[in-house]
Amino acid sequence: MLFSRGFYRIRRTTLNRRCQWLLSFRRDHQQLICPTYCPSPMVSAEKALGCRENYSWGSCAFHGFGRQIHHQSNSVMEEQLDPFSLVENELSVLANRLRSMVVAEVPDLASAAEYFFKMGVEGKRFRPTVLLLMATALNVPIPVSASNGMVDALPTELRRRQQCIAEITEMIHVASLLHDDVLDDADTRRGIGSLNFVMGNKSAVLAGDFLLSRACVALASLKNTEVVSLLAIVVEHLVTGEIMQTTTTSEQRCSMEYYMQKTYYKTASLISNSCKAIALLAGKTAEVSSLAYEYGKNLGLAYQLVDDVLDFTGTSTSLGKGSLSDIRHGIITAPILYAMEEFPQLCEVVDRGFDNPADVNLALDYLGKSRGIQRARELAAKHAGLASAAIDSLPESDDKDVLKSRRALVDLTHRVITRTK
Amino acid sequence: ALGCRENYSWGSCAFNGFGRQIHRQSSSIVEEQLDPFSLVENELSMLANRLRSMVVVEVPKLASAAEYLFKLAEGKRFRPTVLLLMATALNVHIPGPVSDGVIDSLPMELRKRQQRIAEITEMIHVASRLHGDVLDDADTRRGIGSLNFVMGNKIAVLAGDFLLSRACGALASLKNTEVVALLATAVEHLVTGETMQMTTASEQRCSMEYYMQKTYYKTASLISNSCKAVALLAGQTTEVSMLAYEYGKNLGLAYQLIDDILDFTGTSTSLGKGSLSDIRHGIITAPLLYAMEEFPQLHAVFDRGLENPADVDLALGYLGKSRGIQRARELAAKHANLASSAIDSLPENDDEDVQRSRRALVDLTQIVITRSK
Repeated sequence: MLFSRGFYRIRRTTLNRRCQWLLSFRRDHQQLICPTYCPSPMVSAEKALGCRENYSWGSCAFHGFGRQIHHQSNSVMEEQLDPFSLVENELSVLANRLRSMVVAEVPDLASAAEYFFKMGVEGKRFRPTVLLLMATALNVPIPVSASNGMVDALPTELRRRQQCIAEITEMIHVASLLHDDVLDDADTRRGIGSLNFVMGNKSAVLAGDFLLSRACVALASLKNTEVVSLLAIVVEHLVTGEIMQTTTTSEQRCSMEYYMQKTYYKTASLISNSCKAIALLAGKTAEVSSLAYEYGKNLGLAYQLVDDVLDFTGTSTSLGKGSLSDIRHGIITAPILYAMEEFPQLCEVVDRGFDNPADVNLALDYLGKSRGIQRARELAAKHAGLASAAIDSLPESDDKDVLKSRRALVDLTHRVITRTK
Repeated sequence: ALGCRENYSWGSCAFNGFGRQIHRQSSSIVEEQLDPFSLVENELSMLANRLRSMVVVEVPKLASAAEYLFKLAEGKRFRPTVLLLMATALNVHIPGPVSDGVIDSLPMELRKRQQRIAEITEMIHVASRLHGDVLDDADTRRGIGSLNFVMGNKIAVLAGDFLLSRACGALASLKNTEVVALLATAVEHLVTGETMQMTTASEQRCSMEYYMQKTYYKTASLISNSCKAVALLAGQTTEVSMLAYEYGKNLGLAYQLIDDILDFTGTSTSLGKGSLSDIRHGIITAPLLYAMEEFPQLHAVFDRGLENPADVDLALGYLGKSRGIQRARELAAKHANLASSAIDSLPENDDEDVQRSRRALVDLTQIVITRSK
């Protein structure tokens, strides 16, 4: 039958959670006692777009996973900078440009677009941050800031084009969120009413299409057919992933392979292919472009796996304290899939669906007895490690900014797996 | 022709009432009176099968949803017909039989790319219908239950997304960023047009200018921009590409204006015999907009929203007294002629196939305005 059980119980707020992790991550660290190790001052992140919390490097809570910070050069005094602050000025510029790119002559579309930007500000722009850092890491100069009294250097043409990739990526991402919310019947997104809730399903669907078409026009303007192909693939993957999630057979839902494929399509493809696009625009070799791709892919996968774990554990390390949103919507994620390998009887429970809360508890029980959570974390760490390795494999550079960005990218791989929200 | 059950034979084209305005490039050739659709029907079958199998293979569960709309007899595959004819009219050879031993790969390659445009255009069109039907009151879409009632809004969204995403991929494969921009703009226009139609601002609903703008976005933009894309792929000059664009645009506008009239008249020439679907949904089209110029009191009727059947009858009453229908027909004819002129302005070409396709394109402009369904 067309409607599988999973179809109606569609996960809510998974993306919501995912996109809010930075916000809460920062809040968390204010409460932590700053370890004595850390000599660096608190970095004010107030200037960062929409960001009001401060967080410092030292309080980054690397506990549990050890510190695996890679330093390219020991002689340089290691600046322990917040990765996001490295690109915050650029991001502001991007945000404004993005706003003008989605101006619509029709009032209803214009207000839908505005809505998108309200969302964008709250989203802390994770993806664009990664992309801009990647651009620098691949040796494309950041525009010089005016703070030292010098005249702003205009970004190079190349940098501008790479910023465009970041803008396009955001448009595609938000377009998919708008449609996902319609598919999920979501009523909130990032703490505010979702567009479909506020303006209706049809308006939300049309707004998503509008953003997608604008993204395509912007993409075409780069006049690089390879980059167009990459991002077109992303669009296909996002839809494929959504289809995979909504039309699974019982067998597929219990398959780790299917799950990882779906996760790649839904979460990792966008960031990996846009990282690669960044590299291609910079005229990098196929090898370097692949490394950029691998970074994005593994970062995305790591992110999602930790997201899955947190849905069970929440901010504590105990089971069942998370929102349990996935399981309640019949979405079977990595920890459960691992648990099922140890306890085949869990398959029956999964097959029954999770309408019955008793079944949820039963599954949590098995999960607790199993090594499911730990194995999921290990897999996340493995992917984070692969992402770091990709950065380490980039061609050597002496440039300070390049090194700083590469460190930041590596640091992101740690943050992604050590976050508790 | 695929999905086409009527015969559009020359004789029954019912040119009555408008005179024959058929343009002929050369009088010395015996005029072949061919059905434009038959010129490309084989190619169209191939296209349709390719499109269908792509959907069925990749997403079996969505296949029935998208299939549903592909099956529609609507438009008799109108768009792809126009595009394939345009491709030939712009001097690209239809692939000849393989039997002559020489397979000229280059024109074949180009033809395939232009066929791709036709496929992409259909995907975009169907996707926009699927998305346009989301939570609409459209309970009948061309005589078939609207998808959202049959299978749910969510499938409609997902199926539409699937088609749009595959259209993106197909566009990218053409490796021509100008063409990508054209078709992406067409998608944007479709959305804009749909949104304009949703607007309830009284002033705009009663404006002929707003209506024509909306009509361009909703109906003409896709065909005009894909005609232009076909020309660009063929390496045609800007001037020729613009002629292709103008053909598509004016054909599309003419088509919609007649569509508006038929919604009132149906197959008869009498008023009120059509499905009256537009007016019942509060959609005010060209005939009524013209009638309002003669009878300003119609304004008040429109403002009330046309939900009351008595108001619908009232509006029809005014329409009947006015020259609304006639003026809409005249505007349609004007656009049809502009489309014809665009074809006539194409650079001269002696090739038989080229001439035949150009004649067919011109004939289509007449078919569009003389049809009674």
